[in-house]
This record gives sequence, C-alpha cells and structure tokens, in this order.
Amino acid sequence: MTRETGPPGGDPENSRSEFSNAPARGRNRIPVRLLLQFSWRNLWRHRRRNGILLSAIAVAVAGVLLLNTLLRGMQYDMMNTAIDNLTGHVKVLAPGYLDDPGIERGFDTPPDWQQVLDPDAVEGWAARIRVPAVIMSERETRGIQLVGIDPEQESISFLHTAAIEGERLTGRGDRRLVIGQRLADDLATLPGRRLVLVTQGADGRTREAGFRIAGIYRAEMSLVESAFVFTGRDALQDLLGTGDVTEISVRLADAPREAETMAALATAFEDLDVLSWRQLEPQAATMVAFADTSIYIYFLIVMGALVFGLVNTLVTAVMERIRELGMLRALGMRPRSVVAQVVTESSLIMATGVAIGIAVAGGVFSLVADGIDLTAFDDSLASFGMRPIFVPVVEATDVVLVAVMSLALGLVASFYPARRAVKIKPLEALQRR
Amino acid sequence: MAEEVVTCRRVSRTYAEEAVPVHALCRVDFELAAGEWVSLAGPSGSGKSTLLHVIGGLDQPTEGSIVVDGVEITGLAAADLSDLRLHKIGFVFQAYNLIPVLSALENVEFILQLQGVGRAERRQRSLETLDSLGIPELADRRPGEMSGGQQQRVAIARAIVTNPVLLLADEPSANLDTATTEELLDVLRNLNRSRGVTIVTATHDPMVMGYTSRQVNLRDGRVVTTGS
Ligand SMILES: Nc1ncnc2c1ncn2[C@@H]1O[C@H](COP(=O)(O)OP(=O)(O)OP(=O)(O)O)[C@@H](O)[C@H]1O
Ligand SMILES: [Mg+2]
Repeated sequence: MTRETGPPGGDPENSRSEFSNAPARGRNRIPVRLLLQFSWRNLWRHRRRNGILLSAIAVAVAGVLLLNTLLRGMQYDMMNTAIDNLTGHVKVLAPGYLDDPGIERGFDTPPDWQQVLDPDAVEGWAARIRVPAVIMSERETRGIQLVGIDPEQESISFLHTAAIEGERLTGRGDRRLVIGQRLADDLATLPGRRLVLVTQGADGRTREAGFRIAGIYRAEMSLVESAFVFTGRDALQDLLGTGDVTEISVRLADAPREAETMAALATAFEDLDVLSWRQLEPQAATMVAFADTSIYIYFLIVMGALVFGLVNTLVTAVMERIRELGMLRALGMRPRSVVAQVVTESSLIMATGVAIGIAVAGGVFSLVADGIDLTAFDDSLASFGMRPIFVPVVEATDVVLVAVMSLALGLVASFYPARRAVKIKPLEALQRR
Repeated sequence: MAEEVVTCRRVSRTYAEEAVPVHALCRVDFELAAGEWVSLAGPSGSGKSTLLHVIGGLDQPTEGSIVVDGVEITGLAAADLSDLRLHKIGFVFQAYNLIPVLSALENVEFILQLQGVGRAERRQRSLETLDSLGIPELADRRPGEMSGGQQQRVAIARAIVTNPVLLLADEPSANLDTATTEELLDVLRNLNRSRGVTIVTATHDPMVMGYTSRQVNLRDGRVVTTGS
C-alpha cells in the first residue's frame, strides 16, 4: 500500500532537499492574517481584563492629546502675543538698539526697500519710532515707551483690533496720543485731557511738549496697557527733530518663510540687525520651545506607566496560554511566528486603545474648541504672555506622533512576553495539566 | 516490501536531570512501513509517549538515528522540526488541544493557513475532511460547544487535513466511552485502509489493539516483542 501524496523515500539527500523546498509557499513566511485573527479573538476572550487595559490606554492617550492641545494653544498664544506686541515675526533694528534704545539709534529707510519682500510671504510691515519717555499728568509721572506710528500700517499689531475709548489716531501726522487703560488709570486721566511728555531729541537735548489724549486702548495684557503710548510718526519725528525711524516690523503670512524673509531684509539693510521674534522675545521663545519638549515628557510619564500594565497583561496572556502556544508549536508553528503572535496581540491592543483614545480626545476637544475663558486669572496669566481667552490647538502631527510613539511602545512592551512565549517547549507545554 | 516511513536505530532518550538518570528509551530499533497501523503497548512509564514524541520531532533522542520519510531528523534546528511537524506529521493527543477561540472548521483550516495554502483551497479541503469524518455539521461550533468524541474527531481532521506522511496518536481514546471509542477506531481504520494513512497509536486500550495491523510492546524503554 502506498501513500497518496508526497514523494517516495529513498535517497536521503534528495528527500532532505525536497523537505526543505517543497513547502516553499509557506516557508519563512509569517502567517500574518492568521495571527491577526488569533489576536483579535483573544482580545475578546478576556473582555474584562482587556477592557480595563484598553480604557487605561484610551484615557492616557486622550489625556496626553488634550494636554497637547492645551500646550499648543498656550504656545500659539505666547507666540502670537509676542508677535502682536509690536514685534512681528521679523524686525529690522540698528545694532545696539535693544540694549540702549533711543532716537540716536534711528535709521533712514532707503526708497523702495520693501521690494525685497515677497508679497505672498508677508502680511504687512510697519516703520516706527520707538523711544523711552516720561509721561506726566497733573498728579502722576510714569516711564513709558513712546511709539510713533503710521496707523495705516498697524494692521499687523494688536492696536488694529484693540478696543478704544475715544478716538483712534487719524494718520501719521496726528499729534495726539493713544494710551493704555492701565496707564490712564495710573495717571488718573481721560480722553480729551492733556499730558506732558519728556524725551530726548535727535540732537541729544531734552524735549518737553504737551499732548492731548485722543483715545484709550484696551489690550489683553495690562502690562502692554501701561507700557505703550502711541502718536503719529510724523508728529513724533517733528518733536525729536529727525526723519529717521527706529524699527521696521514685518509680519509674515507664512511663518515658515521667516528665514528667507530675514535674508532678503538683510540685503536691503546691510548695516542693520535683522532679528526674529525668537531673538526679540527670548522668554516667550523659551516657553514655546519648552512646550515642544514637554509634550514628549508628558507622553513618556503617562504612557510609560501604562507600558507596565501592558507588559503584565501580555505576560499573563502568554502564561495562561502556555498549553495553547505549545500546541501551536507542536503542530508546526515556527518559533518566530509565536513571537509574531505576541507582538501582533500587543500591537492590536495598543492600536485599539489609541484609536479609542483619539476618538475620546476628539469628542472632548470639540466641546472646548471655541476657547476657555480664563478672565479670572488675567493678570497672572498675562505675565506668561497668555490671553484671558484660551483656545486649545490641535496639530495633526502631534496626533500622529502620539499614535506612532504609542505603537512603538506596544512593540517594546511585547519584547519580554514574546521571549517568554518563544521559550515554551511544545512537549512540556502539552504535558502540563 | 513497502517503503519505510520511519526507521529508528538504537534510539535512546535519557532524562539526566533526575538524581538517577531515567532511561525513557533505551537503544530502540523500530521500523514502520507505509500503510501500517502500529500500536505501541506496554505498562505506564514504558516509553510509549516518548517514542511517539521523538518520531514526531517533538523531542530529540539523546542517542541514535531517526529517519522520517527519508530525512534524518536528529539534530535538526527548531524551525526545521517545526516544518517537519507541519508538513509531514499529524498529531492526535489525549487532550484534544483544539484552540478554544476558533470554530471546528477554523481549527482544521489554520494548519493549512500555517502551510501557506490559499484561502479557497484551504476552506474546501477542511470542509471535505470534516465531511469524510462524518462531522460536517460541527464546522461552525467552537470546542466548548462539542462533546469529547466530537472534539477528538475535529482533532483528527486537523491532523490529517495536510495529508501527513504519518499520523501519531497518543492515547486517543483515553477520555472516550466505549461506543465513542469504537466510532473513533472506525474512523482511523477507514483512514488507514482507504486513504493509506500510516498510523502509530500508543495506548493501554485493548480495543485499540484489536484494530491495528501490528503491535509493538515496550517495557522500561526497550522493545520486548513485536508481532501482529
Ligand atoms: N520530562 C520528563 N522528565 C523526566 N522523566 C520523564 C519525563 N517525561 C517522561 N519521563 C519518564 O520517562 C519514562 C517514559 O515515559 P512515557 O511518558 O514515555 O511513558 P508511557 O509509556 O507513555 O506511560 P503512560 O502509559 O503512563 O503514558 C517514564 O519513566 C517517565 O517517568
Ligand atoms: Mg504516555
């Protein structure tokens, strides 16, 4: 009697090579679909245990993602506040102006300098004079920054949208003042009243002149309200006896094109400094950079703790399936497929948890997407460069990053359980009762 | 003479871990011709299971040579032994060892899946095998929803769906009542006679011995008698 299938025995060499080659379609290949199927069913086999683990992963992922949107919101806020507060993305200044601001560090604007700017990259620009000054009412005296502006160019700064009590400046020849609410309170003054300004002229002599208040602006930060006093640029140039400006501030439509714009400005203003907002507002820039890093830190703390739970669950799953895994090995599943089985299971749990987490985060986010009112904390937040209405921000790259890092952790977590699984000897496993 | 499916030469398996080394098998010579159904008999601890395990590549002998279907299997790497078991051997254990999360059909099918057989062929061969064992209606049931005899038949289906060179069954009837055992033995006889499957069973059960073509008696790891 002969067998139905298979080659006849005989020459061992032939048979051996036949043995290695014949099943080539299945050899060296990991049966991915089968493993996915097992993993999926196993996930449902221990609903409670896996449910708890999945909830923990989902909550952690959602927590990290929501925290991310808050951090990003904070980051954007700090950045925008820094940029709004007369900084812009890029600024042209005379060397030394930052350490010792004054009209003696003013400069001429060459005609047509703005041709170096790519209109697609730039939202707008403003040329200003900004000098330290002392302001006096009948009662009080304060040190301030006196800023000569062309109101038409200020669409790039907070002034454009700020609420004003009284009137705005009508043009760069307007010889009136717009001051902040906080300063108005300190000086106990009102629109229409007069204030006296003392500052240093281009010739080094002190200038003193009376100005009438056109209006009082509100800013989101009271610090700003007490620091900046605005008047028309031509009017200020008259007072100081100069035709110079002290700064050109450029706001970009497209933030990533900062470097390119800076390079272009450097060609137009060879002797001047061209600085980015990061150099001008180092504190805000540090906070923004910190927010970038803290996303990783929070992720590692929260998800790192979870990995132990995952490892524990996987080891338990391996230990209680020793017989089953041993049987699979006995029936001919290769060791590497057993490893792949554990890795697949871990990845599946992680992927499911991450998917639920992202969905939960999306749901919660949609509730707070319009912003969170933090008016009660106004002053303390303002000193961090934050505004009282706080708008969380979702960045797709953060979501992808968290998902990818979670899946990577899932792989790491499966390493030890997989080692345990692959050490199972089929015979010993089958003999266990 | 028919070709030899298994040739064991001076095979020993010694458990040296114990204080006194246990010689589970001691210089066993054993041949199995294609189409035979041999039953291994002997008292408990005589080495029946051990012999099945070394023949099936589940255990490695400490000494000797084992050729299965023309391939010397002693000294093969773990992955190669896996392939040997997957492609050439069918196992039926005392405990049925079905995967609880898979249906009967899937339990049979996944072996073909491990072999890399395509979906349609896999399904068809599995269904045919369940059919030939008289249990097509069990296809969608999970092991928890089947009796012991039914599970054992599914286990046999799983063992033969790959058309193995050799079917090894260790105490296949140990958990079954007489009537079910008889049905099981009919199934095995049918496989042996009509499909030419070569079978080795290890058992204490005299009923099983009545069905086989040859009986090999073991005692203390040695072959004592062999005859039909
Ligand atoms: N893992 C092991 N470690 C040490 N000794 C073992 C091990 N497995 C089996 N043995 C010993 O090897 C000998 C043969 O065992 P084996 O299981 O092959 O016997 P058997 O004939 O199948 O017995 P039974 O009829 O009870 O199933 C026995 O003495 C047993 O104690
Ligand atoms: Mg035994």
